[in-house]
Amino acid sequence: MDFTLKIWRQENANAKGRFETYKINDISPDCSFLEMLDILNESLVNKLSHPVCFDNDCREGICGMCGLYINGHPHGPDQAITTCQLHMRKFKDKETIVIEPWRAKPFPIIRDLVVDRTALDKIIQEGGYVSVTTGGIPDGNAIPIPKYKADQAMDSASCIGCGACVAACKNASAMLFVSAKVTQLSLLPQGKPESSIRVQKMVAKMDELGFGNCTNTYACEAECPKEIKCSNIAKMNREFLFAKVCTEENI
Amino acid sequence: MKLIQFASITKKMALAAFGLFLLLFLPVHLGINLCLLREDGGEWYRNASHFMGTNYIVKVFEIVLMASVLLHIIIAILLTIENFLARPVKYKVKSKTKTKTGSKYMIITGVVIACFLVLHFINFYFVKLDLIEGKYTAEIEKIDKHFQQKALKLQKGELNEKEQAQLMAQYQAISQVSQEKMDMSQKNLVNLSKEEVKLYCGEDFEEYEPDFYVMSQDLFSNRLYSIIYIFVFVILGLHLSHAIKSIAQTFGLNHNKYNYAIELVANSYAILIPIGFALIPIWIMYIK
Repeated sequence: MDFTLKIWRQENANAKGRFETYKINDISPDCSFLEMLDILNESLVNKLSHPVCFDNDCREGICGMCGLYINGHPHGPDQAITTCQLHMRKFKDKETIVIEPWRAKPFPIIRDLVVDRTALDKIIQEGGYVSVTTGGIPDGNAIPIPKYKADQAMDSASCIGCGACVAACKNASAMLFVSAKVTQLSLLPQGKPESSIRVQKMVAKMDELGFGNCTNTYACEAECPKEIKCSNIAKMNREFLFAKVCTEENI
Repeated sequence: MKLIQFASITKKMALAAFGLFLLLFLPVHLGINLCLLREDGGEWYRNASHFMGTNYIVKVFEIVLMASVLLHIIIAILLTIENFLARPVKYKVKSKTKTKTGSKYMIITGVVIACFLVLHFINFYFVKLDLIEGKYTAEIEKIDKHFQQKALKLQKGELNEKEQAQLMAQYQAISQVSQEKMDMSQKNLVNLSKEEVKLYCGEDFEEYEPDFYVMSQDLFSNRLYSIIYIFVFVILGLHLSHAIKSIAQTFGLNHNKYNYAIELVANSYAILIPIGFALIPIWIMYIK
Protein backbone atom coordinates (compact mmCIF):
# COMPACT_ATOMS: atom_id res chain seq x y z
CA MET A 1 0.00 0.00 0.00
CA ASP A 2 1.14 3.56 -0.72
CA PHE A 3 0.44 6.56 1.48
CA THR A 4 1.04 10.28 1.57
CA LEU A 5 1.89 11.35 5.11
CA LYS A 6 1.48 14.89 6.38
CA ILE A 7 3.36 15.00 9.66
CA TRP A 8 3.64 17.84 12.18
CA ARG A 9 7.31 18.75 12.69
CA GLN A 10 8.36 21.07 15.51
CA GLU A 11 11.87 21.38 16.96
CA ASN A 12 10.79 22.23 20.52
CA ALA A 13 7.94 23.70 22.58
CA ASN A 14 8.70 27.27 21.53
CA ALA A 15 9.55 26.67 17.87
CA LYS A 16 7.02 27.29 15.14
CA GLY A 17 5.69 24.00 13.84
CA ARG A 18 4.87 23.04 10.28
CA PHE A 19 3.51 20.13 8.31
CA GLU A 20 5.90 18.12 6.19
CA THR A 21 4.76 15.77 3.46
CA TYR A 22 6.34 12.34 2.97
CA LYS A 23 5.57 9.65 0.41
CA ILE A 24 5.83 6.08 1.59
CA ASN A 25 5.42 3.04 -0.67
CA ASP A 26 5.02 -0.74 -0.43
CA ILE A 27 3.59 -0.87 3.08
CA SER A 28 2.01 -4.18 4.07
CA PRO A 29 -1.65 -3.96 5.14
CA ASP A 30 -0.67 -6.01 8.23
CA CYS A 31 1.90 -3.42 9.21
CA SER A 32 1.04 -1.52 12.41
CA PHE A 33 0.89 2.25 12.31
CA LEU A 34 4.03 2.65 14.42
CA GLU A 35 5.91 0.12 12.28
CA MET A 36 4.96 2.19 9.27
CA LEU A 37 6.47 5.23 11.00
CA ASP A 38 9.59 3.15 11.82
CA ILE A 39 9.97 2.36 8.12
CA LEU A 40 9.60 6.04 7.31
CA ASN A 41 12.19 6.95 9.95
CA GLU A 42 14.67 4.39 8.60
CA SER A 43 14.42 5.95 5.17
CA LEU A 44 14.85 9.41 6.74
CA VAL A 45 17.95 8.28 8.64
CA ASN A 46 19.37 6.77 5.45
CA LYS A 47 18.92 10.18 3.87
CA LEU A 48 20.75 11.68 6.89
CA SER A 49 17.77 13.78 7.92
CA HIS A 50 16.22 13.86 11.41
CA PRO A 51 13.65 11.09 12.01
CA VAL A 52 10.11 11.90 13.11
CA CYS A 53 9.90 11.76 16.93
CA PHE A 54 6.94 9.90 18.41
CA ASP A 55 6.25 8.33 21.80
CA ASN A 56 5.91 4.58 22.17
CA ASP A 57 6.87 1.83 24.57
CA CYS A 58 5.07 -1.50 24.99
CA ARG A 59 3.44 -1.62 21.55
CA GLU A 60 0.65 -3.82 22.85
CA GLY A 61 -1.83 -1.23 24.07
CA ILE A 62 -1.21 -1.36 27.80
CA CYS A 63 1.35 1.34 28.62
CA GLY A 64 -0.36 4.47 27.30
CA MET A 65 2.80 5.97 25.86
CA CYS A 66 1.84 6.16 22.20
CA GLY A 67 -0.69 8.70 21.11
CA LEU A 68 -1.09 10.37 17.75
CA TYR A 69 -3.94 12.45 16.39
CA ILE A 70 -4.54 10.73 13.06
CA ASN A 71 -6.98 12.16 10.50
CA GLY A 72 -9.08 13.85 13.19
CA HIS A 73 -9.12 10.91 15.60
CA PRO A 74 -6.91 10.38 18.65
CA HIS A 75 -5.40 6.90 18.21
CA GLY A 76 -6.69 6.82 14.64
CA PRO A 77 -9.91 5.70 12.98
CA ASP A 78 -10.64 2.54 14.96
CA GLN A 79 -12.49 1.81 18.18
CA ALA A 80 -10.98 0.89 21.55
CA ILE A 81 -7.34 0.71 20.46
CA THR A 82 -4.18 2.67 21.01
CA THR A 83 -2.08 3.96 18.12
CA CYS A 84 0.29 0.97 18.34
CA GLN A 85 -2.67 -1.40 17.82
CA LEU A 86 -3.80 0.42 14.70
CA HIS A 87 -3.10 -1.37 11.43
CA MET A 88 -2.57 0.08 7.98
CA ARG A 89 -5.45 -2.04 6.60
CA LYS A 90 -7.76 0.48 8.30
CA PHE A 91 -6.69 3.02 5.64
CA LYS A 92 -7.38 3.11 1.94
CA ASP A 93 -4.54 2.65 -0.53
CA LYS A 94 -3.05 6.00 -1.70
CA GLU A 95 -4.76 7.77 1.21
CA THR A 96 -3.35 10.98 2.66
CA ILE A 97 -2.82 10.57 6.41
CA VAL A 98 -2.45 13.69 8.57
CA ILE A 99 -0.60 13.07 11.85
CA GLU A 100 -0.66 15.68 14.62
CA PRO A 101 0.44 15.61 18.25
CA TRP A 102 -2.06 15.84 21.15
CA ARG A 103 -2.94 19.52 21.35
CA ALA A 104 -3.73 21.06 24.73
CA LYS A 105 -2.25 23.86 26.82
CA PRO A 106 -1.15 21.47 29.61
CA PHE A 107 0.54 19.19 27.02
CA PRO A 108 3.49 21.22 25.65
CA ILE A 109 5.20 19.71 22.61
CA ILE A 110 8.67 18.30 23.30
CA ARG A 111 9.51 17.54 19.69
CA ASP A 112 7.46 16.69 16.60
CA LEU A 113 4.72 14.34 17.79
CA VAL A 114 5.99 13.90 21.36
CA VAL A 115 4.10 15.85 24.01
CA ASP A 116 4.83 16.26 27.70
CA ARG A 117 2.00 14.56 29.63
CA THR A 118 3.46 15.26 33.08
CA ALA A 119 0.27 17.23 33.82
CA LEU A 120 -1.61 13.94 34.20
CA ASP A 121 1.01 12.68 36.67
CA LYS A 122 0.70 15.91 38.64
CA ILE A 123 -3.03 15.31 39.02
CA ILE A 124 -2.32 11.78 40.30
CA GLN A 125 0.25 13.18 42.74
CA GLU A 126 -2.47 15.38 44.25
CA GLY A 127 -4.46 12.42 45.54
CA GLY A 128 -4.69 9.55 43.11
CA TYR A 129 -3.38 7.08 45.67
CA VAL A 130 -4.13 5.51 49.07
CA SER A 131 -1.89 7.26 51.60
CA VAL A 132 -1.60 4.43 54.13
CA THR A 133 0.23 1.17 53.46
CA THR A 134 -2.40 -1.37 52.58
CA GLY A 135 -0.07 -4.34 52.80
CA GLY A 136 0.13 -7.27 50.46
CA ILE A 137 -2.74 -9.08 48.81
CA PRO A 138 -5.30 -9.81 51.56
CA ASP A 139 -7.27 -13.04 51.91
CA GLY A 140 -10.08 -13.22 49.37
CA ASN A 141 -12.68 -13.08 52.14
CA ALA A 142 -10.90 -10.64 54.49
CA ILE A 143 -12.35 -7.45 52.95
CA PRO A 144 -15.79 -8.07 51.46
CA ILE A 145 -16.30 -6.20 48.17
CA PRO A 146 -19.45 -6.76 46.11
CA LYS A 147 -18.66 -8.25 42.71
CA TYR A 148 -20.33 -5.41 40.77
CA LYS A 149 -18.21 -2.85 42.61
CA ALA A 150 -15.04 -4.79 41.98
CA ASP A 151 -16.01 -4.93 38.30
CA GLN A 152 -16.74 -1.20 38.13
CA ALA A 153 -13.47 -0.37 39.88
CA MET A 154 -11.60 -2.65 37.48
CA ASP A 155 -13.24 -0.96 34.48
CA SER A 156 -12.23 2.47 35.77
CA ALA A 157 -8.75 1.24 36.66
CA SER A 158 -8.19 0.12 33.08
CA CYS A 159 -7.40 3.77 32.19
CA ILE A 160 -3.81 3.84 30.93
CA GLY A 161 -3.47 7.62 31.16
CA CYS A 162 -2.64 8.12 27.49
CA GLY A 163 -4.46 11.47 27.32
CA ALA A 164 -6.66 10.61 24.35
CA CYS A 165 -9.65 12.00 26.27
CA VAL A 166 -7.90 15.38 26.51
CA ALA A 167 -6.91 15.19 22.85
CA ALA A 168 -10.43 14.28 21.73
CA CYS A 169 -12.26 16.82 23.89
CA LYS A 170 -13.16 20.05 22.10
CA ASN A 171 -12.28 21.86 25.34
CA ALA A 172 -9.12 19.84 26.13
CA SER A 173 -10.77 18.72 29.37
CA ALA A 174 -9.24 15.94 31.45
CA MET A 175 -12.49 15.05 33.22
CA LEU A 176 -12.60 11.45 31.95
CA PHE A 177 -9.07 10.73 33.11
CA VAL A 178 -9.54 12.35 36.53
CA SER A 179 -12.94 10.77 37.04
CA ALA A 180 -11.62 7.29 36.19
CA LYS A 181 -8.93 7.64 38.84
CA VAL A 182 -11.33 9.15 41.41
CA THR A 183 -13.94 6.45 40.78
CA GLN A 184 -11.53 3.55 40.82
CA LEU A 185 -10.23 4.49 44.28
CA SER A 186 -13.49 5.55 45.89
CA LEU A 187 -15.30 2.35 44.93
CA LEU A 188 -12.93 0.19 46.95
CA PRO A 189 -12.70 0.07 50.78
CA GLN A 190 -9.01 1.05 50.84
CA GLY A 191 -9.62 4.26 48.89
CA LYS A 192 -13.01 5.16 50.35
CA PRO A 193 -11.88 7.04 53.52
CA GLU A 194 -9.99 9.65 51.50
CA SER A 195 -12.49 10.00 48.67
CA SER A 196 -13.89 13.42 49.67
CA ILE A 197 -10.56 15.15 50.01
CA ARG A 198 -9.15 13.33 46.98
CA VAL A 199 -11.81 14.50 44.55
CA GLN A 200 -11.45 18.12 45.67
CA LYS A 201 -7.66 18.10 45.41
CA MET A 202 -7.55 16.38 42.03
CA VAL A 203 -10.19 18.66 40.51
CA ALA A 204 -8.39 21.74 41.89
CA LYS A 205 -5.14 20.56 40.34
CA MET A 206 -6.83 19.77 37.05
CA ASP A 207 -8.23 23.32 36.90
CA GLU A 208 -4.91 24.84 37.94
CA LEU A 209 -3.01 23.05 35.17
CA GLY A 210 -5.23 24.68 32.54
CA PHE A 211 -7.40 21.82 31.30
CA GLY A 212 -10.77 22.95 29.92
CA ASN A 213 -14.23 22.36 31.35
CA CYS A 214 -16.43 19.39 30.48
CA THR A 215 -19.31 20.07 28.07
CA ASN A 216 -20.73 16.54 28.32
CA THR A 217 -20.03 16.03 24.62
CA TYR A 218 -18.71 12.49 25.26
CA ALA A 219 -16.02 12.66 22.57
CA CYS A 220 -13.66 11.32 25.25
CA GLU A 221 -15.77 8.20 25.73
CA ALA A 222 -15.93 7.64 21.97
CA GLU A 223 -12.13 7.83 21.56
CA CYS A 224 -10.92 6.19 24.80
CA PRO A 225 -8.79 3.14 23.90
CA LYS A 226 -9.90 1.46 27.12
CA GLU A 227 -13.59 2.37 26.73
CA ILE A 228 -13.85 4.27 30.00
CA LYS A 229 -17.47 5.36 30.39
CA CYS A 230 -18.71 8.89 31.04
CA SER A 231 -20.68 7.52 33.99
CA ASN A 232 -17.33 7.94 35.76
CA ILE A 233 -17.63 11.70 35.23
CA ALA A 234 -21.13 11.63 36.69
CA LYS A 235 -19.81 9.76 39.71
CA MET A 236 -17.02 12.29 40.14
CA ASN A 237 -19.52 15.19 39.92
CA ARG A 238 -21.65 13.43 42.54
CA GLU A 239 -18.67 12.95 44.82
CA PHE A 240 -17.48 16.52 44.30
CA LEU A 241 -20.92 17.86 45.23
CA PHE A 242 -21.08 15.59 48.27
CA ALA A 243 -17.56 16.58 49.32
CA LYS A 244 -18.30 20.31 49.03
CA VAL A 245 -21.75 20.21 50.65
CA CYS A 246 -21.71 17.38 53.16
CA THR A 247 -18.18 16.95 54.47
CA GLU A 248 -16.29 19.22 56.83
CA GLU A 249 -12.99 18.39 55.16
CA ASN A 250 -12.59 21.12 52.54
CA ILE A 251 -9.48 22.27 50.78
CA MET B 1 -6.60 29.46 33.17
CA LYS B 2 -9.21 30.19 35.78
CA LEU B 3 -11.25 33.31 35.19
CA ILE B 4 -13.17 33.10 38.44
CA GLN B 5 -11.95 31.33 41.51
CA PHE B 6 -14.41 28.47 41.57
CA ALA B 7 -13.71 24.87 40.68
CA SER B 8 -14.69 23.89 37.13
CA ILE B 9 -17.35 21.51 38.42
CA THR B 10 -18.84 24.21 40.67
CA LYS B 11 -19.15 26.57 37.70
CA LYS B 12 -20.72 23.86 35.60
CA MET B 13 -23.22 23.03 38.35
CA ALA B 14 -24.16 26.71 38.63
CA LEU B 15 -24.64 26.87 34.86
CA ALA B 16 -26.80 23.74 35.02
CA ALA B 17 -28.85 25.01 37.97
CA PHE B 18 -29.68 28.33 36.29
CA GLY B 19 -30.43 26.46 33.08
CA LEU B 20 -32.79 24.18 34.98
CA PHE B 21 -34.73 27.17 36.26
CA LEU B 22 -35.05 28.47 32.71
CA LEU B 23 -36.26 25.02 31.65
CA LEU B 24 -39.02 25.22 34.27
CA PHE B 25 -40.09 28.66 33.03
CA LEU B 26 -40.40 27.72 29.35
CA PRO B 27 -43.55 25.54 29.72
CA VAL B 28 -45.21 28.36 31.72
CA HIS B 29 -44.46 30.82 28.93
CA LEU B 30 -45.62 28.30 26.34
CA GLY B 31 -48.88 27.78 28.23
CA ILE B 32 -49.60 31.51 28.07
CA ASN B 33 -48.61 31.74 24.41
CA LEU B 34 -50.91 28.88 23.47
CA CYS B 35 -53.83 31.04 24.64
CA LEU B 36 -53.22 32.96 21.39
CA LEU B 37 -54.61 29.97 19.50
CA ARG B 38 -58.03 30.46 21.10
CA GLU B 39 -60.27 32.59 18.90
CA ASP B 40 -61.62 34.74 21.71
CA GLY B 41 -60.21 38.12 20.74
CA GLY B 42 -57.42 37.64 23.22
CA GLU B 43 -59.52 37.23 26.38
CA TRP B 44 -57.57 34.32 27.86
CA TYR B 45 -54.24 35.73 26.71
CA ARG B 46 -54.93 39.13 28.29
CA ASN B 47 -56.08 37.46 31.53
CA ALA B 48 -52.86 35.43 31.62
CA SER B 49 -50.75 38.54 30.90
CA HIS B 50 -52.64 40.39 33.61
CA PHE B 51 -51.89 37.58 36.09
CA MET B 52 -48.21 37.48 35.14
CA GLY B 53 -47.95 41.26 35.37
CA THR B 54 -49.66 41.74 38.73
CA ASN B 55 -49.30 38.60 40.88
CA TYR B 56 -46.74 39.14 43.64
CA ILE B 57 -45.38 35.58 43.62
CA VAL B 58 -44.82 35.92 39.87
CA LYS B 59 -43.06 39.24 40.46
CA VAL B 60 -40.59 37.60 42.86
CA PHE B 61 -39.96 34.84 40.34
CA GLU B 62 -39.50 37.45 37.63
CA ILE B 63 -36.43 38.73 39.49
CA VAL B 64 -35.12 35.17 39.95
CA LEU B 65 -35.74 34.50 36.26
CA MET B 66 -33.88 37.60 35.07
CA ALA B 67 -30.97 36.78 37.39
CA SER B 68 -30.94 33.21 36.04
CA VAL B 69 -30.86 34.41 32.43
CA LEU B 70 -27.99 36.81 33.14
CA LEU B 71 -25.93 34.38 35.23
CA HIS B 72 -26.53 31.51 32.79
CA ILE B 73 -25.15 33.70 29.99
CA ILE B 74 -22.22 35.10 32.01
CA ILE B 75 -21.06 31.70 33.29
CA ALA B 76 -21.46 30.16 29.83
CA ILE B 77 -19.28 32.89 28.30
CA LEU B 78 -16.63 32.50 31.02
CA LEU B 79 -16.53 28.72 30.58
CA THR B 80 -16.29 29.08 26.80
CA ILE B 81 -13.35 31.48 27.11
CA GLU B 82 -11.61 29.08 29.51
CA ASN B 83 -12.27 26.19 27.14
CA PHE B 84 -10.91 28.18 24.22
CA LEU B 85 -7.73 28.99 26.13
CA ALA B 86 -7.22 25.33 27.08
CA ARG B 87 -6.18 24.59 23.48
CA PRO B 88 -4.18 27.57 22.19
CA VAL B 89 -2.97 25.76 19.04
CA LYS B 90 -5.93 24.15 17.28
CA TYR B 91 -5.87 20.91 15.30
CA LYS B 92 -5.44 21.36 11.57
CA VAL B 93 -7.78 18.46 10.85
CA LYS B 94 -11.18 19.00 12.45
CA SER B 95 -12.25 16.35 14.93
CA LYS B 96 -14.08 13.47 13.28
CA THR B 97 -15.25 11.94 16.55
CA LYS B 98 -18.97 11.19 16.47
CA THR B 99 -20.77 13.27 19.10
CA LYS B 100 -24.24 14.72 19.53
CA THR B 101 -24.71 17.88 17.41
CA GLY B 102 -26.40 19.86 20.18
CA SER B 103 -23.52 19.51 22.61
CA LYS B 104 -20.96 20.91 20.16
CA TYR B 105 -22.78 24.14 19.36
CA MET B 106 -24.20 25.17 22.74
CA ILE B 107 -22.47 28.57 22.71
CA ILE B 108 -23.52 29.33 19.11
CA THR B 109 -27.14 28.31 19.63
CA GLY B 110 -26.98 30.17 22.94
CA VAL B 111 -25.86 33.38 21.24
CA VAL B 112 -28.69 33.10 18.69
CA ILE B 113 -31.20 32.66 21.52
CA ALA B 114 -29.68 35.58 23.45
CA CYS B 115 -30.00 37.82 20.37
CA PHE B 116 -33.63 36.83 20.00
CA LEU B 117 -34.11 37.48 23.71
CA VAL B 118 -32.91 41.06 23.22
CA LEU B 119 -35.43 41.48 20.37
CA HIS B 120 -38.11 39.88 22.54
CA PHE B 121 -37.34 42.24 25.43
CA ILE B 122 -37.51 45.26 23.13
CA ASN B 123 -40.84 44.06 21.76
CA PHE B 124 -42.48 43.10 25.04
CA TYR B 125 -40.60 43.26 28.31
CA PHE B 126 -39.32 46.83 27.96
CA VAL B 127 -42.88 47.94 27.21
CA LYS B 128 -43.89 46.42 30.52
CA LEU B 129 -41.02 48.24 32.24
CA ASP B 130 -42.22 51.41 30.50
CA LEU B 131 -38.92 51.95 28.68
CA ILE B 132 -40.45 51.66 25.22
CA GLU B 133 -43.92 52.69 24.08
CA GLY B 134 -46.24 49.94 22.95
CA LYS B 135 -49.96 49.33 22.87
CA TYR B 136 -52.03 49.36 26.02
CA THR B 137 -55.25 47.98 27.41
CA ALA B 138 -57.42 49.08 30.32
CA GLU B 139 -60.56 47.72 31.99
CA ILE B 140 -63.64 49.81 31.21
CA GLU B 141 -64.91 49.28 34.75
CA LYS B 142 -61.76 50.85 36.18
CA ILE B 143 -61.91 53.75 33.73
CA ASP B 144 -65.53 54.35 34.75
CA LYS B 145 -64.65 54.32 38.42
CA HIS B 146 -61.81 56.75 37.84
CA PHE B 147 -64.08 58.99 35.76
CA GLN B 148 -66.79 58.99 38.43
CA GLN B 149 -64.30 60.01 41.11
CA LYS B 150 -63.21 62.90 38.91
CA ALA B 151 -66.85 63.84 38.27
CA LEU B 152 -67.50 63.85 42.01
CA LYS B 153 -64.56 66.19 42.48
CA LEU B 154 -66.00 68.41 39.75
CA GLN B 155 -69.31 68.64 41.60
CA LYS B 156 -67.47 69.65 44.76
CA GLY B 157 -65.61 72.27 42.72
CA GLU B 158 -62.16 70.81 43.42
CA LEU B 159 -60.94 70.80 39.84
CA ASN B 160 -59.15 73.67 38.19
CA GLU B 161 -59.93 74.86 34.69
CA LYS B 162 -57.40 72.68 32.92
CA GLU B 163 -58.62 69.53 34.67
CA GLN B 164 -62.21 70.43 33.85
CA ALA B 165 -61.35 70.75 30.18
CA GLN B 166 -59.56 67.41 30.26
CA LEU B 167 -62.55 65.73 31.88
CA MET B 168 -64.84 67.10 29.19
CA ALA B 169 -62.48 65.90 26.46
CA GLN B 170 -62.38 62.45 28.07
CA TYR B 171 -66.20 62.37 28.25
CA GLN B 172 -66.50 63.26 24.59
CA ALA B 173 -63.82 60.81 23.49
CA ILE B 174 -65.18 57.90 25.46
CA SER B 175 -68.73 58.40 24.24
CA GLN B 176 -67.47 58.21 20.67
CA VAL B 177 -65.05 55.31 21.15
CA SER B 178 -65.06 53.01 18.15
CA GLN B 179 -65.89 49.29 18.32
CA GLU B 180 -62.33 48.49 17.21
CA LYS B 181 -60.97 49.76 20.50
CA MET B 182 -63.10 47.29 22.47
CA ASP B 183 -62.38 43.62 22.95
CA MET B 184 -64.95 40.91 22.20
CA SER B 185 -66.33 40.78 25.73
CA GLN B 186 -66.70 44.60 25.70
CA LYS B 187 -65.01 44.75 29.08
CA ASN B 188 -61.69 46.26 28.01
CA LEU B 189 -60.42 49.05 25.87
CA VAL B 190 -57.62 47.60 23.77
CA ASN B 191 -54.99 48.59 21.19
CA LEU B 192 -54.47 52.04 22.75
CA SER B 193 -51.41 54.16 22.15
CA LYS B 194 -50.06 56.16 25.08
CA GLU B 195 -51.85 59.27 23.82
CA GLU B 196 -55.12 57.40 23.52
CA VAL B 197 -54.72 56.09 27.07
CA LYS B 198 -54.45 59.69 28.26
CA LEU B 199 -57.41 60.71 26.13
CA TYR B 200 -59.77 57.89 27.08
CA CYS B 201 -58.70 57.27 30.66
CA GLY B 202 -57.53 60.68 31.88
CA GLU B 203 -54.04 62.05 32.53
CA ASP B 204 -53.54 60.50 35.96
CA PHE B 205 -55.03 57.06 35.23
CA GLU B 206 -52.44 54.44 36.04
CA GLU B 207 -54.24 51.11 35.91
CA TYR B 208 -53.57 50.46 32.23
CA GLU B 209 -51.45 47.51 31.13
CA PRO B 210 -49.46 46.69 28.01
CA ASP B 211 -51.72 45.07 25.41
CA PHE B 212 -49.50 42.10 24.62
CA TYR B 213 -52.24 40.47 22.55
CA VAL B 214 -52.37 43.27 19.97
CA MET B 215 -48.59 43.62 20.03
CA SER B 216 -48.05 39.90 19.38
CA GLN B 217 -50.70 39.85 16.63
CA ASP B 218 -48.97 42.85 14.99
CA LEU B 219 -45.61 41.06 15.12
CA PHE B 220 -46.92 37.75 13.80
CA SER B 221 -48.66 39.50 10.91
CA ASN B 222 -45.11 40.37 9.78
CA ARG B 223 -43.99 37.36 7.75
CA LEU B 224 -40.27 38.05 8.22
CA TYR B 225 -40.68 38.17 11.99
CA SER B 226 -42.63 34.90 11.94
CA ILE B 227 -39.89 33.18 9.94
CA ILE B 228 -37.18 34.48 12.30
CA TYR B 229 -39.33 33.32 15.22
CA ILE B 230 -39.67 29.78 13.83
CA PHE B 231 -35.94 29.65 13.00
CA VAL B 232 -35.02 30.71 16.55
CA PHE B 233 -37.16 27.95 17.99
CA VAL B 234 -35.47 25.35 15.78
CA ILE B 235 -32.20 26.62 17.23
CA LEU B 236 -33.69 26.52 20.72
CA GLY B 237 -34.64 22.88 20.11
CA LEU B 238 -31.00 22.16 19.30
CA HIS B 239 -29.93 23.95 22.49
CA LEU B 240 -32.52 22.06 24.54
CA SER B 241 -31.49 18.72 23.05
CA HIS B 242 -28.36 18.95 25.19
CA ALA B 243 -30.05 20.55 28.20
CA ILE B 244 -31.74 17.98 30.42
CA LYS B 245 -29.31 15.11 29.85
CA SER B 246 -26.40 17.43 30.45
CA ILE B 247 -27.92 18.78 33.67
CA ALA B 248 -28.45 15.23 34.91
CA GLN B 249 -24.85 14.31 34.07
CA THR B 250 -23.45 17.43 35.73
CA PHE B 251 -25.34 16.70 38.95
CA GLY B 252 -24.14 13.11 38.78
CA LEU B 253 -27.39 11.45 37.70
CA ASN B 254 -26.19 8.80 35.30
CA HIS B 255 -27.36 5.29 35.99
CA ASN B 256 -28.50 2.42 33.81
CA LYS B 257 -31.75 2.19 35.79
CA TYR B 258 -33.06 5.60 34.83
CA ASN B 259 -30.91 6.84 31.93
CA TYR B 260 -33.66 5.70 29.59
CA ALA B 261 -36.23 7.82 31.44
CA ILE B 262 -33.94 10.87 31.40
CA GLU B 263 -33.39 10.46 27.67
CA LEU B 264 -37.13 10.15 27.04
CA VAL B 265 -37.94 13.27 29.07
CA ALA B 266 -35.02 15.20 27.54
CA ASN B 267 -35.92 14.33 23.95
CA SER B 268 -39.64 14.94 24.32
CA TYR B 269 -38.98 18.27 26.03
CA ALA B 270 -36.55 19.36 23.32
CA ILE B 271 -39.06 18.48 20.60
CA LEU B 272 -42.40 19.47 22.13
CA ILE B 273 -41.51 22.88 23.58
CA PRO B 274 -40.12 24.40 20.34
CA ILE B 275 -42.97 22.85 18.33
CA GLY B 276 -45.45 24.41 20.75
CA PHE B 277 -43.92 27.86 20.33
CA ALA B 278 -43.48 27.58 16.55
CA LEU B 279 -47.09 26.43 16.18
CA ILE B 280 -48.39 29.94 16.92
CA PRO B 281 -46.88 31.82 13.95
CA ILE B 282 -47.62 28.84 11.68
CA TRP B 283 -51.24 28.89 12.87
CA ILE B 284 -51.53 32.64 12.30
CA MET B 285 -49.81 32.52 8.88
CA TYR B 286 -51.47 29.48 7.33
CA ILE B 287 -54.52 28.28 9.23
CA LYS B 288 -56.24 31.27 10.73
